[in-house]
Amino acid sequence: MILNDIEVLFGGQAGDGSLTTGDLIATVFKRMGLDVYTFKDFPSRIRGGHTNYIIRASEHPHYGVADYIDAMVAFDLECVEKHIEEMRPGGFVIFDNTSEQLTDAVRRSDVNYYEIPLAKIAKEVLGLELVRNTISLGVLGQLTGMDPAIVRSLVTRQYERKGDKVVAQNIGAVEAGENYVKEHFADKPSGYTLKARPDVDRLIMMGNDAIGYGALAAGCRFMAGYPITPATDILEWMAKHAPKYGGVVMQAEDELAAINMIIGAAWTGARAMTATSGPGQALMTEGIGLAGVTETPIVIVECARAGPSTGMPTKTEQSNLNHLIFSGHGEIPRVVLAPGSVEESFYLTVSAFNLAEKYQLPVFILSEQAMCQSKETTPRLDVSAVNVDRGKLHHNGALTFGEYKRFEFSEDGVSPRAIPGTEGGMHLVPGSEHNDAGVITEDARNRVRIMDKRMHKLVSMRPDLPKAVVHGDPKAAVAFIGYGSNRGPINEAQHRLAAAGVPSRFLQLRTLWPFPEEEVRDFLKGAQHIFVVENNMTGQIDRLIRYVTGPSPRMHRVLKYSGRPFRPIEIIEAVENTLNARTSKDGQTIVVGRNGAPSSPAPAEHAVAHLLKAPADDIVAAD
Amino acid sequence: MATQLTPKDFATATPSWWCPGCGDFGVLAALKQACAELSLQPKDVAFISGIGCSGKISGYLHSYAFHGVHGRALPTATAVKLANKDLTVIVAGGDGDGYAIGAGHFLHAVRRNPNMTYIVMDNQTYGLTKGQSSPTSMLGYLSGTSPAGNPDAPLNGLAVALAAGGTFLARAFSSEPKAMVEMIKDAVRHPGFAIVEVMSPCVTFNKVNTYKWFKENVYHISDTEGYDASNRAKAFEVLMQPGKIPLGVFYREVRPTLDELMLKESPPIATLDIESVDPKLTNLQEAYA
Repeated sequence: MILNDIEVLFGGQAGDGSLTTGDLIATVFKRMGLDVYTFKDFPSRIRGGHTNYIIRASEHPHYGVADYIDAMVAFDLECVEKHIEEMRPGGFVIFDNTSEQLTDAVRRSDVNYYEIPLAKIAKEVLGLELVRNTISLGVLGQLTGMDPAIVRSLVTRQYERKGDKVVAQNIGAVEAGENYVKEHFADKPSGYTLKARPDVDRLIMMGNDAIGYGALAAGCRFMAGYPITPATDILEWMAKHAPKYGGVVMQAEDELAAINMIIGAAWTGARAMTATSGPGQALMTEGIGLAGVTETPIVIVECARAGPSTGMPTKTEQSNLNHLIFSGHGEIPRVVLAPGSVEESFYLTVSAFNLAEKYQLPVFILSEQAMCQSKETTPRLDVSAVNVDRGKLHHNGALTFGEYKRFEFSEDGVSPRAIPGTEGGMHLVPGSEHNDAGVITEDARNRVRIMDKRMHKLVSMRPDLPKAVVHGDPKAAVAFIGYGSNRGPINEAQHRLAAAGVPSRFLQLRTLWPFPEEEVRDFLKGAQHIFVVENNMTGQIDRLIRYVTGPSPRMHRVLKYSGRPFRPIEIIEAVENTLNARTSKDGQTIVVGRNGAPSSPAPAEHAVAHLLKAPADDIVAAD
Repeated sequence: MATQLTPKDFATATPSWWCPGCGDFGVLAALKQACAELSLQPKDVAFISGIGCSGKISGYLHSYAFHGVHGRALPTATAVKLANKDLTVIVAGGDGDGYAIGAGHFLHAVRRNPNMTYIVMDNQTYGLTKGQSSPTSMLGYLSGTSPAGNPDAPLNGLAVALAAGGTFLARAFSSEPKAMVEMIKDAVRHPGFAIVEVMSPCVTFNKVNTYKWFKENVYHISDTEGYDASNRAKAFEVLMQPGKIPLGVFYREVRPTLDELMLKESPPIATLDIESVDPKLTNLQEAYA
């Protein structure tokens, strides 16, 4: 019997309401005191097409999906066909057999099947086919031991806005599901059980909501954006909440407008941001250069999805890092921050606004579909700890015209801003090269001096940049480097390796630009096996690390670019396979996720420990 | 009010980069005159320009000025107005900036109706890149990119704006300073998005649409007896009429502005105290608890 550790895949056709029920399941788990992570695997269409929603619950926060699916709730055969290979041996499938039957091809001997005519019950017993999702919640709850009182209270909360009748229908649906299991499967336990723990005061929040919330707390009162998956939630969140705090949210006609709008608002003195994804980011490139040369503080949220071009709009990837760091003509200072959880999404958003204003430049927050649209249980967010640092800003009082210089040369490269309306502060801010007073000039000496001034901010900001986090044993021979949504799976792989007697260290990068060379160099001292884990094909962060380390035979790339997040076993397997193949003088490139499902049967059967005890003959140079 | 301002109060020390005789000088002079006559304070004027010869104008008006990227002056300016509704926001750009690379933003600014003024300095050519055809170049216009004659019909920006919901549409000629000053003043006073298109000859590259050509090819709708600027159909008729180019204020309408609709009674965003974090923000977490 597996206690309090389950990954549910809730799947069917898009538009059948699985999102609502998936959210309900997640909240039930949270109320039962478990740690929750959810992952949306939706098609880029509104109705039709396979869709699924993963809800993972356990007694420890994982910030990511598990190795295998434990429980599948499938509303059609396609769902079972697509995901049966991903099931954990001993797992179970709840299948709606109203209009389709399971085929032999999808029957695994090590998986339990509960075939229930969910749609038929919904229609015949409750007179409403819509509630079949809720019936399945009752079935799942009965099979796993969900607290019935919690289920009822959350179903009531979910539907109370729609009136008593709808609440009663859905409560009836839960009961119908529970009763069906009691009547038909009393002698067929699922093998999984849940036991409620005290629900400490926590939240269950989506990454995008945490970014919106962080922005509002940080004083962002102007947002402009163009709808794009998976970033739109932020625009909608801000549209709902910012006006209550005196703010404005503009739906722009395109991303070109959005970026120039936030530049206009920021120059005027508002804290301003936009949120977009790859294609929109590409359109914003020219505007970001403008923000750099005009030293205008803006925050750009990039919710990365699989590219190039339209790519896979609803799938996750870490392939836009090069674009954030290197895009644009000319050279500007910029900052790229990458939160590794919903909680960090909140706090790093606050940091982004402070860095933007303190150093007067564009700051990116890099999230990914697997985090920005995922929900996590998270500690309460401390709004009282938010400190707003606006940097050198004259927004009250008067200046003397002729003395004030917008781009005055200074020790740290930062010059005081005067916002429109300030007496005596009138100036021109041009995208053309200019002198310290803002006058356009192509003078050679000025050019070098003012370029140096702007780029020096990358140096002077170093102490203020969010630090990387070292997880695990900082002296361990095995080392991981990664960022963003990979924090969860790497962390989990670490715990399991440690339990098998293999300690490891993991550098979770949180500032990706300016690149934290010192932190990487210090972290790698003494490391013998280095695994750089990222969701892309070309190893974008790996290349940046190699600028610091130089060639390294012990540095390996673990890559996944199937549009899906890492499962921890894939990282464990990559470690194992690489160390098996240590004849090569070059670092290995290990691509995982080629087959959709992990290749090995169960994590317990992996014996990596002895492989990791191999003598280290070549240690990565620290300098 | 302090002492009466003069155009000199809106002058900057920056020497102009325009060619001698450029129509843009007339626009700048009229703009300074209008600002002075309206008793605007330089500190309260936000002047946003695009790219091109016309875009350089932001360096020559003593104000808070922003010279952005090509074609994006309108979204920038819209946000400036929303961020501080107390500012007088004026935008200037050319025919290429507004009707080609920025055409999308032009339509959306028109339909949003933010309370600001847009001066389109139309020279019917790309001057700064040395004379290519522009969206307002006449059919058959000979240029480096149209050696066989411009094949594209010219865009009628004001007619397009009228169709898109424009609320103040005017056209001036840069060598008629008095009319231009009055038109700019009216535009700034207009509660909404006011467009003043100024025929501003390029003396270096446009050898067709010269000062002389304009003098022979314009007429004033003020000379048309009983012209009613609240009549949209009439305005459309005048703007679409082939032949001589009409000058004047063609259409005026008052409808709610973007800033009124979005900001209501709240104070200017740029003046909000965001350093004291509102403790009420903590309550937003309850929806996630």
